[in-house]
Amino acid sequence: MGVLLRLSDVIRHFGGVHAVDGVSLEIEEGAIFGLIGPNGAGKTTLVNLVTGYLRTQSGSVRLGTPAGEVELARRPPHAVAGLGVARTFQTLRLYRNLTAVENVLVGMHPRRPDDTLAQLLPLPPLRRGEQERLEEARGLLRRVGLESERDGPRPAWTLSYGDQRRLEVARALALRPRLLILDEPAAGMNPAEKDRVRELIQQLNAEGLTVLLIDHDMRLVMGVCRQIAVLNFGRKIADGSPVKVSSDPAVIEAYLGKEAEKTAAHVPGSEEIDVQAPARAPAAAEPAAPLLEVKELEVAYGAIQAVRSVSFGVAKGEIVALIGANGAGKSTILNTLSGLLRPRAGTARFDRLDLTTASPDRIVRGGLVQVPEGREILARLTVRENLELGAWVRRDGQVVQREIAELMERFPILGQRRNLPAGQLSGGEQQILAIARGLLARPRLLLLDEPSLGLAPQMVDAVFEVIERIHKEGVTVLLVEQNALRALELADRAYVVETGRILLSGTGSALRRNPEVRKAYLGG
Amino acid sequence: MDFFIQLLTDPIGFYNSHELLVAQMGINAILAISIFVTFYSGQLTLANAGFMAIGAYTTVLLSLYPQWPLPLDMLLGSLLAGAAGVLVGLPVLRLRGVFLAIATIGFVEALLLGVILNVPITGEGQGLKNPTADPLGGIVPILVSIPVLTYLVWRLTRTRLGQAWAAIREDELAASSNGINVPLYKMIAFVIGAILAGYAGALETHINFFVDPTEYGISRTIQILTFAVVGGTSNVLGPIVGAVFLTALPEILRFVRDYRDVINGVILILVIIFRPQGIVGRGGLALIRPRWLHRRGRVRGSPASAL
Repeated sequence: MGVLLRLSDVIRHFGGVHAVDGVSLEIEEGAIFGLIGPNGAGKTTLVNLVTGYLRTQSGSVRLGTPAGEVELARRPPHAVAGLGVARTFQTLRLYRNLTAVENVLVGMHPRRPDDTLAQLLPLPPLRRGEQERLEEARGLLRRVGLESERDGPRPAWTLSYGDQRRLEVARALALRPRLLILDEPAAGMNPAEKDRVRELIQQLNAEGLTVLLIDHDMRLVMGVCRQIAVLNFGRKIADGSPVKVSSDPAVIEAYLGKEAEKTAAHVPGSEEIDVQAPARAPAAAEPAAPLLEVKELEVAYGAIQAVRSVSFGVAKGEIVALIGANGAGKSTILNTLSGLLRPRAGTARFDRLDLTTASPDRIVRGGLVQVPEGREILARLTVRENLELGAWVRRDGQVVQREIAELMERFPILGQRRNLPAGQLSGGEQQILAIARGLLARPRLLLLDEPSLGLAPQMVDAVFEVIERIHKEGVTVLLVEQNALRALELADRAYVVETGRILLSGTGSALRRNPEVRKAYLGG
Repeated sequence: MDFFIQLLTDPIGFYNSHELLVAQMGINAILAISIFVTFYSGQLTLANAGFMAIGAYTTVLLSLYPQWPLPLDMLLGSLLAGAAGVLVGLPVLRLRGVFLAIATIGFVEALLLGVILNVPITGEGQGLKNPTADPLGGIVPILVSIPVLTYLVWRLTRTRLGQAWAAIREDELAASSNGINVPLYKMIAFVIGAILAGYAGALETHINFFVDPTEYGISRTIQILTFAVVGGTSNVLGPIVGAVFLTALPEILRFVRDYRDVINGVILILVIIFRPQGIVGRGGLALIRPRWLHRRGRVRGSPASAL
């Protein structure tokens, strides 16, 4: 067995962002190779570099073919596909208005002979391949578990979400690929559907197909891959067998984050604590008279059930954290609370305000303010203008001006840059600006969505200090974080969210010692 | 109403008294087929009037000066439009959506202001006299061309080429992951569209004694776009139906002469609101049915379907 795909020192930067920063790896022919890493680690960028959607800045991507190794870098995507590299997309990219069969037929494009003349003057002998292709397409659909004939021809967008994911795999298989790249094939699926994806990958591999699997679901990746590489900030931080990778300290730190230097660095599930730690943290006392009370909340995006029967509460003066892996449903919960999404069922009350029916601006005026993921500052407006917009709902202009001046003093980073366009601030400074902007709406409850996302470690410290400070000043905080250890350090209580459910809850310190937390991130 | 009554009761008489209208419908139908090809591949190009001008001027000039036979002039006119399509396509086909539309409008304007109105041989702003025109004989090639072109384009959508176009229209990124050479296939669609527009221009010169440069501006381009929008683009018949309908409309509305453009605009808005997929939808010619009616029908039907 030779090497099918060999990456040597591949580099791709976007401006100052080192999306892929010198990655080398080798995928053996016949392997199922896993590529994992936290959000923003560069996994999809790497796939786009291999498949020709992005140009490498340096390094080589070589594909083993029967005629020797071929350089893929600098080939356009269709040429890479022509060499037998098929892929699926993280966000579905089906031909939405074509039927399932038509989607698969398009996938056969490189091996379909040009039949333009034959079709223009319908010559039967030249059209013979048509029926065979149709049969093959139906076969592929059955192969991935899609019975297309069941309900007649209908556009692909009307299929259920899971079926659409399966259809993308069938379309990729239509190429008869030598390497199949699956970019999060199980995203948004429930456990039973994920099992079927796992079975399919294993079957295809048993028939000789080499698979490169990218997914956030550690159970899936650890379950099917014999070889895994871990990316973080564009670099490969570990590779090897699933067992080796999942116990690698660098990997655990990349996924769970790192505690601040001042406390002893203990990793959840590390041996000496494991022995004493209870398997399940005792549920922390739920607040008796919560400021925010969520009961049996269900949220869905079309066919995807993102949040399943979630209940929790936040009392006045608390910091409560929702932690869990990417795609667990944390941001969906916050967006539902601030009125941007409407739940399918359940209740959410903030004081006397019914969050499931109140309009987003009514919710902000009621004192529930969200600082969104990715910060969402207005890059072309100055720092001051961004802050002024944060007070949009208020009528007391003079008080607002005074508060802005105070904020500039409290956060000198902002004061010094008050007349700079906000887009010129660093990621961490932008996050502090976003929090300050949120404060100007006079929140009684501040929702923070991934405040440390994509930030360098020192900036993470700065942002967490800010959160601690505003909490001491009396603001109640509901925090969503992937950086679990930092969040647990800060939080009075926390809830661990996994695939839309609350898996565990407890005080921050109890959860920090609970091995189940690590499982929720890294798989069991 | 006389218009319809005559069409139904006395088709031969109708044809004889509306020959020019019929010829114009035919030319517009070919233009509609031309924009359909680029639409089918997902490209919003508005260069058709420009390619039409190239076809028209080339044909007339070749029949005036070298005095070559007319069919050859028309062929060369269409092919030159196609060649211009390659030249224009190379820089602009990297653009998408509204940017492509703006760039192709730029081409039309540049051609009109920069070349046609500036080069002595085209008669500049005066236009060109075309003494060889034959308004009655000219209708024959138009009427023959329409079924042939309709058939060919309909078949084309079923080939490997047409399948690639549909894929590009639905999702360019996915299409290239399926091994489709997206720039090449877009270019092919663009050039076929240019050739067809050039051909329509060539045919039009044959029924008019005068080539008028103001015919080939932005308003013509927008008119061609409306054929496709009103008729619908999921099927080659859509733009053709749109062209015939919109060409006949001013005649039908003669009795409200002063408000013709207003009513034209109102009809366009109504079609866009109530039938965004065009008169000819994916399922073929369906009745115009507003969405709220459809919804009510479904609610009423649901208990039955649950059984």
